[in-house]
Amino acid sequence: MRKSFLIQFAILILLIIYTNIGDRSTAAISNSVVGDGGGIRVELTGDETIFDSSPTDLAPQKGGTLVMAISAEPENLNYYTSTSAAATRFLDYIYEPLLDYDYETWNYDRPVLAESFAISEDGMTFTFKLRENIYWHDGQPLTADDVLFSIKSILNPFVDAAPQRTSFSKVIEAHIEGPYIFSVTSSETYFRNQEILGGFAIMPKHIWDPQGLMDRYTVTDLLNPTITREEAAIKEFAEAFNTHPQGRPVGDGAEPIVGSGPFKFDKWITGDYMSLVRNDNYWGSDQTYIPGYSEQGSYLDKIIIKVVQDATARLIALKAGEIDFIPRMRAIQYFEQTGSQDFLDKYQKVSYVVPAYSYIGWNNDKPYFMDKRVRQAMTMLIDREAYNKYIAYDMGIPTIGPFYIYGEQYNHAIERWPYDPARAVELIEAAGWIDHDGDGIRDKDGVPFNFTFSISAGSTSSKYLALMLKEDLRKVGIVVNIRQLEWSVYVENLRDRQFDVVSLLWIGGLEADPYQIWHSDNIGDRGSNYIGFKHAEADSILYHARFEMDKTKRNAMYHRLQEILHDEQPYTFMFAQRDPGAYLKEFRGAKWIPIRPGYKLYSWWRNNTSQVSPL
Amino acid sequence: MSQMAPARTYTQIVGAQFSKNKLAVFSVHIIYVLLFVFIFADFLANDKPIVMRLKGSTYFPVFREYGVNWLGMNWQDEFKSQQFKILEDDYEAGDWAIYPPIPYSPNEYNLQVKLQPPSMAHPFGTDELGRDVLSQMIHGARVSLLVGFVAVAIYVFIGVILGALAGFYGGIIDIIIQRLIEIMITFPRMFLIITIVAVMETQSIINIMVILGLTGWTGVARFTRAEFLKVKNEDYVVAAKALGYKDFRTIFRHVLPNTLTPVLVTATFGVAAAILIESGLSFLGFGAPPEQATWGSLLSSARDMLPTGWWLTTFPGLAIFITVTVYNLVGEGLRDALDPRLKQ
Repeated sequence: MRKSFLIQFAILILLIIYTNIGDRSTAAISNSVVGDGGGIRVELTGDETIFDSSPTDLAPQKGGTLVMAISAEPENLNYYTSTSAAATRFLDYIYEPLLDYDYETWNYDRPVLAESFAISEDGMTFTFKLRENIYWHDGQPLTADDVLFSIKSILNPFVDAAPQRTSFSKVIEAHIEGPYIFSVTSSETYFRNQEILGGFAIMPKHIWDPQGLMDRYTVTDLLNPTITREEAAIKEFAEAFNTHPQGRPVGDGAEPIVGSGPFKFDKWITGDYMSLVRNDNYWGSDQTYIPGYSEQGSYLDKIIIKVVQDATARLIALKAGEIDFIPRMRAIQYFEQTGSQDFLDKYQKVSYVVPAYSYIGWNNDKPYFMDKRVRQAMTMLIDREAYNKYIAYDMGIPTIGPFYIYGEQYNHAIERWPYDPARAVELIEAAGWIDHDGDGIRDKDGVPFNFTFSISAGSTSSKYLALMLKEDLRKVGIVVNIRQLEWSVYVENLRDRQFDVVSLLWIGGLEADPYQIWHSDNIGDRGSNYIGFKHAEADSILYHARFEMDKTKRNAMYHRLQEILHDEQPYTFMFAQRDPGAYLKEFRGAKWIPIRPGYKLYSWWRNNTSQVSPL
Repeated sequence: MSQMAPARTYTQIVGAQFSKNKLAVFSVHIIYVLLFVFIFADFLANDKPIVMRLKGSTYFPVFREYGVNWLGMNWQDEFKSQQFKILEDDYEAGDWAIYPPIPYSPNEYNLQVKLQPPSMAHPFGTDELGRDVLSQMIHGARVSLLVGFVAVAIYVFIGVILGALAGFYGGIIDIIIQRLIEIMITFPRMFLIITIVAVMETQSIINIMVILGLTGWTGVARFTRAEFLKVKNEDYVVAAKALGYKDFRTIFRHVLPNTLTPVLVTATFGVAAAILIESGLSFLGFGAPPEQATWGSLLSSARDMLPTGWWLTTFPGLAIFITVTVYNLVGEGLRDALDPRLKQ
């Protein structure tokens, strides 16, 4: 053993001598600049609010099947009780709301099931006049009864729709005024009323409540806890509703979901796929369906949505021709594993913007992050551009605040904090964090600057971010511990505010109400302001903007809010998100839009002209 | 062998027997190399110089690091930020530094050189943050070996004591301990470990070592018990009892040393198994915390990089393979050398 060690020691010495003589230039072989990966980068700038990534030389034609792959299967297909995005996206092809976005102005005022609507002078009562030519997939007419039934189902306190119900918490009354007229009243003039009261999916009453259990009760009754407690029928209906077979039509022989939309439910084989077929009797087919987006109800005969959990398996299935469209792939797949000419000839890669942004949240109540100068410094210590360039493949769009980068609420006048470690150190020292005891770690009032960065176990991007931050902050005398947590534990800690730093993503909309996330009323009690942001002026803006119906004035208020958030840096705002996807080039009409999920398959069609039908 | 030769000790006999097995001897030398890496990791791969001459004074930053970490010393003011390479930019005449052969620490990242294939500057390439893979492997070797030895030490300790008690006393104690062993082995070990780790609040290597130690003792206990049953009626044990020695002294001074050899063999195999389990746990993300490089976690993060980043899986995979193999070969060599039936 001694001999062995002596030899090794000699080798070590020789190695040290060898590596230290001569030019130890670690000449950085510069990485090839990340390009667009051979795909199209969707930018929705200026007046362009719809981006078509496919050639537009041919007129759309009907026919064809599209197979797409998603990562997670919904737990059920009941529009109101399901909490998964996959269910909502699937059911949006089957059910329809009264109003929807206008795809040209992006205001929420395009009549869908409604033919027209009127708002009372006080802005609290909405009256919708329904179209009279609409029939459910089973041939029954769609009337105001169905609309009233739908809102009653949401408001029924025993229906498992608590998240949806919070949006409707200000509804005080709703009734029908004739077979095709529906009226609903809110107790306040909230600016999102139109979107909420006109935006819920309408479900068929004759399917979900054939016995008319809910007919006896008015909306006012349902809002009265005494009545809902005493009337057994209300609970009885809710239990039937929560477990209705239409909410889980699994298997080959299941009754199809009855809706009114351009697609009809076909099948749901759990663990495998869900499918839709075109509704040839669609009420909207003979008129322009979504102006500027899809001229007729839809073109595809069939849509199959496969559930493939593993990202690698999804890509393999795409390459094997089993799948035509992956809406979300991993950045590394998009940039490193799909670059061959064969792939690019056959598939179109697209990276499109989705209304979501990533951020690092600093718990404002922890001693380290109480002072806004420290939070500003933290932002300036993170080399966000390098992170975006090298880790995120340049997929992030730098953002300064919580609003959607392509929405009118976003304040483009604010300049992002630069990467400036020197200035950051000055700010940290000004805030009193100095290494008093000489141990190499900054401290203040006896508290060492030693915090924990919580990351969710599955997220590689937050892991990289945390590792970079740990190494960078070590150099300025701050200790970062990294803690990996299971997602359920992570969310639990978030709600209980048991964390120092988190790295997460908020998914928003074209127009958002930031009240839930930033108002100090929502600190604690499991509210969404879990980082504990508290600012008097911001609170006032957040409260008053909700009731400001003038869009220009309201946006001015929100622009001011972003100035405050920029200065306070309760979050380090990282990037607005892009999703990378790929689809078979035979598909046309691939239009990308600024609302979730970034595309609607109504406009897609399959170009069969060049195709020789296989035997 | 000549009759004239002086009587050889037991160790010498076993040693001679062992050295006949060339593969095992070779494996021992590889273990020496691993041990060397384990001890001198900081001198092999580090972003701090071993010796540094700066503005007329000589510093020993790697040694200082030990002082800072273990003896409560502080960094000199010049080195507060511990960025020695940046200091090179304003070297004056006569300033120099001698760096370890791999002048990168495992956590030092450089995004500009991310995912580089093996080259002179980075012999085993770089990972997705531009960290040096060889440096991570050298420091990961520490974790792997530490886990192997400490976990086995814990379970040998527990196993030997319980096995000794069961074998020596028999009766009710034996029954209780045997049932305990049976309960332990009915749990699938990997799942038991994953469950315990998932419940743990913090991730650390110490947890892994303790859990491996607490779940692995059954084999050792059974071996020790069997040896005790064999030995406890030998004349010298009876003599010890007749002399009125306390049970404690009889068990640990007289019986135990004569029963340890099979335990030694199991322990050698155990080290290999523990290294493998730690790699598996790290691969699944349950093992070491993210900032701690281990062979398993290196493999895990490299999984997404295939097929382009072959060097990220090849080298850590080889390291695990070689280490586990050499421990098994040494174990086999020991077993054969200790087995009297195989002696000519």
